[in-house]
Amino acid sequence: MTRAPVFVLGAGFAGLTAAVELQRLGHDVTVFEANDSIGGLATSHHLGGVQYDTGAHFVTNRLATAVGVMDQCDDAERYGEAVWSRGQCASYPFGLMRSPRFAGSALLARLQSRAPARTAADRFRAEYGRTLADEVAIPLIEAWSGLPAEELSPSVADKIPGGIAQTIALTAARRLTRRAVAIGYCAEAPQSANVWHVYPRAGLEVFTQHLADQLVGKIRLQSPVEAINIEGTREQRMRVVGVRVGGRDHEGSAVISTLPAPLLARLVDHPLVAPVADLQFRAMVFVQLHLRGRGLLPEPVTWFPERRRPFFRVTEAPMSMPWFAPPGETVLTVDFGAEVHDAIWAADDAALAVTALEGLTDLIPDIQARYIGVTSTRTPIAYPVYALRTEPARLAIATHGIGGLVSAGRNGEFAHLLMEDVYWRTLRIVRALAR
Amino acid sequence: MGVGPDFEYRTSPDSFLAVRCTRCGVVYLDRRPDISELDRIYPDHYHAFAFTEDRFGFVYSVRRRLEAKRLLHTFRDLPDTARILDVGCGDGFHLDLLQSFGPKGWGLEGVDIDDRAISAARRRGLTVHRGRVENLELPEASFDAALMIQTVEHLANPVAVLRAVHRLLVPGGRLLLVTDNTGSLDFTIAKRRHWGGYHFPRHWYLFNAQSLRRLAERCGFTVASMGTMMSPVNWVYSARNALDDWGASREIVDRLSLESPVALAAGTVLDTVHQLVGRGALLRAVLTRPR
Repeated sequence: MTRAPVFVLGAGFAGLTAAVELQRLGHDVTVFEANDSIGGLATSHHLGGVQYDTGAHFVTNRLATAVGVMDQCDDAERYGEAVWSRGQCASYPFGLMRSPRFAGSALLARLQSRAPARTAADRFRAEYGRTLADEVAIPLIEAWSGLPAEELSPSVADKIPGGIAQTIALTAARRLTRRAVAIGYCAEAPQSANVWHVYPRAGLEVFTQHLADQLVGKIRLQSPVEAINIEGTREQRMRVVGVRVGGRDHEGSAVISTLPAPLLARLVDHPLVAPVADLQFRAMVFVQLHLRGRGLLPEPVTWFPERRRPFFRVTEAPMSMPWFAPPGETVLTVDFGAEVHDAIWAADDAALAVTALEGLTDLIPDIQARYIGVTSTRTPIAYPVYALRTEPARLAIATHGIGGLVSAGRNGEFAHLLMEDVYWRTLRIVRALAR
Repeated sequence: MGVGPDFEYRTSPDSFLAVRCTRCGVVYLDRRPDISELDRIYPDHYHAFAFTEDRFGFVYSVRRRLEAKRLLHTFRDLPDTARILDVGCGDGFHLDLLQSFGPKGWGLEGVDIDDRAISAARRRGLTVHRGRVENLELPEASFDAALMIQTVEHLANPVAVLRAVHRLLVPGGRLLLVTDNTGSLDFTIAKRRHWGGYHFPRHWYLFNAQSLRRLAERCGFTVASMGTMMSPVNWVYSARNALDDWGASREIVDRLSLESPVALAAGTVLDTVHQLVGRGALLRAVLTRPR
């Protein structure tokens, strides 16, 4: 690659990471951000004495160190996940295995030989057994995706590598070190007892601001990119030659887009990229219930697979980061899967609060008396939907073949990546491009 | 590879990341402290300024004798008028050994960039140049031998320094280089965080036998010998860092120090076993400027 300018689209965590690395490698880089502020999904909200975030949740000490902000982070007090079903709570994953029904079905599935799964439903049933798949995994993935598991690709079940033995060892390490050792939170770098959850005290913007501070004069806010200009035809080699912003063409040699992948099809006028327009994100409505008390959930993240509930997950972040709420108070974030403009999406905060409080009454019987207030956040691009129908489009993101054009980050890769994976993967993508 | 804070001196609230190059195997500190922070990351009681008899007593005298024997063995065939340069001489510990136990005719000189180290060395009556060896205008091919004892891991640019040393040596001249070994068992065990050899954030480049050989050859040296030597230090620090990190009582943590003969003896036994299978805690290479 020549030293012609490189353009980064989006000043979120991935875009800023890419830009800092490009600059370090000696490239002239410009970041175009459509909004009037940096941060994207990696932004914490501060409202009425409580703090919450809706994009990137946990970071690790390793990520904070790599970015250079560990001195501004505090250790998460604890972390764990549980499943609430049939009026009972089971910690994930070992608590579930205490149920003879689940353990028996999982064991049986392990013993059976299996054909390659064609759908997510097949894969879950093959891996976890029918009972556990049908009662827990499949309802959760359907709520998360908004599609029946039969219409989802088996790749939605791709997990963080690491076997049962490692999970047991890391769980033991949590006890020994009294730290929220990260389990299943990073696929790109090894898991270890020495990698645990931390959080920047002042909010996630500490990360993006620290990166932006290294890019003085390189970030253009309120500058949506209108087109990515390419040169060449199908026969010849096609390359990026620049971008159009504000009606003006800027010449450059490469583009790293962190925009939601489907938007690429609008920016690049070429059949090779056209399929990505079909990719869809699941919309979510996150309802923050501000409540009296603390430690209302069995674990900071609790999953609700029963279909009768309109939400599928509740997070009590102050259990991990006590400073998220004033002492004696807490915030529960209740995740409702939605479609843009459906009834949930259109519901007002008061109605959402009623639904959330009612849905949690069996777990927290006195929840009504604890209620202080509610806010909500809506995002149309919460999670990528790994639909079978759009698998070819998902693969086209990385294989379109246009030189100098890469799509990075959680939205750009159209993958459910956690923050540390976004970081390492983006560095890898940038270095491969710069080579 | 690893992530951790400055366990030993607590010079910074930040923590540091060690990464390994997938191509050459070198382990290095990613995002090094700025050069302006050297005074902070090397506090006044840093061991290379303050490895003194009154503080370390018995340990000091044992180390002195052992090191003197090893050094003189390496340089046994140097002429009585040889000139020897110690790059990164610290408080002059090794030059002092050569001065005390070696032939009186040897011309001994040191190089260091830290004023505190230089004044400690000068107090021993040693000649020390202040600055970086690659910038000092020392005459080319003027030294018969050079030492870099636990220096290369502290450098921002090991290649530049080794090339400079190469230039200063006479053809056939030798460089004795000692550094922490990432091919050791304690590295394998503790590399994610607690390994004593990380010495966060003071060790910037760390080698195993292969990567050190590659560095030497890249700088024009031939490798006359490459082996490992026993050192209890990293074992003691790895154990200390882990216990400290996991909240063990101060009493136990403080027992694991270089001032404790018991801890050092335990580390010595452990590392002697590994030294016997060629995986000692320190790499020890003799490099030659080809004739």
